Amino acid sequence: MSVAKILEMALRAGRVTRRYPYQPPLLTPEFRGAVRIDPSKCWGCGACVRVCPPNALTIRSSGKDVTLEYFVGRCIFCGMCAEVCPAGAIEVTKEFELSAASTEDLRTRLVHRLARCSVCGAPVWTEAELRAVVKASPIAEEYIALCPKHRKERFAKAVALRLGAEGE
Amino acid sequence: MNIARALRAVRKSIWVFHLNSGSCNACDIEVLDALTPYFDVERFGVKLVASPRHADVIIFTGPVTRESLPKVVRAIKAMPRPRLILALGSCAVGGGIWWDTYSTLGGFKKLEEILRESGVEVDRVVYVPGCPVRPEAIIYGTLLLLGAVEQKVRSSEVAVPEG
Ligand code: SF4
Ligand code: SF4
Ligand code: SF4
Repeated sequence: MSVAKILEMALRAGRVTRRYPYQPPLLTPEFRGAVRIDPSKCWGCGACVRVCPPNALTIRSSGKDVTLEYFVGRCIFCGMCAEVCPAGAIEVTKEFELSAASTEDLRTRLVHRLARCSVCGAPVWTEAELRAVVKASPIAEEYIALCPKHRKERFAKAVALRLGAEGE
Repeated sequence: MNIARALRAVRKSIWVFHLNSGSCNACDIEVLDALTPYFDVERFGVKLVASPRHADVIIFTGPVTRESLPKVVRAIKAMPRPRLILALGSCAVGGGIWWDTYSTLGGFKKLEEILRESGVEVDRVVYVPGCPVRPEAIIYGTLLLLGAVEQKVRSSEVAVPEG
């Protein structure tokens, strides 16, 4: 190909090179970047952890609190966690400038307080989730601060009373 | 050898070698994309070379399959110091979707331990998440490796508000 021909083609095409980072990136509306978990909305239910294909989300209880960890270094940006979250706490952002010098920088943690049974003190689940349950069904309030065992006991007692058993 | 001086010299222009340790090839296609005139990482003096012996940086993709491990170690060993690594994609960073399969090591972190045990030192690593990484993320990671941009992400621990 002659130089003149190449020059003519180049002039016709013009400049195609993107100037990023001195120009906004080419993000399409469909692009999915890192997810963001809203601490004021999350219940700590763990639904997102179960659905996350590469286990980028993990949840663990230390006996004192419950920590939901997001390791963006393993996330495949599928958005399934946002779809499944019952609280609508997960937002898929367009963030892609996630480079870091250490993998520790890629971890974000959300710490939930653990609620305890008011009778025996056994851990029940996160306070945020219990609040959400009461909000959805106010009748649950009486039973909410109990572990499953004491909840059963109290319920059985309430039924027995209604059936005419003698109160204490 | 004065590593600090060598690291400063690397800032001028870097030659990269593309090393695939068993990735699904999507990240590799994005690497090519970053090198084409459209995204043109050559603007920053980045040039692709055919041998790790000529490279300043290894562009590393994939979760390190057991099959690729000896070759990967040999390639990194062949690099002159300072050895810089750009670990691209969720596979190379944290093992990605293959993080606990029997046939992979689960990312560069594990490989680094093996390298250290066999006496191969790596001087700087930048991890670039993405599945696949977009070309702009590769450019950003390269600039971070060269010290031209600030790191945006930080580890954080937030307590859920009461009430
Ligand atoms: S509320 Fe949403 S973000 Fe929080 S643990 Fe449950 S699914 Fe995950
Ligand atoms: S986007 Fe997909 S991979 Fe990433 S945290 Fe959510 S479910 Fe896990
Ligand atoms: S990070 Fe995703 S796109 Fe890249 S090699 Fe791994 S699976 Fe493929």
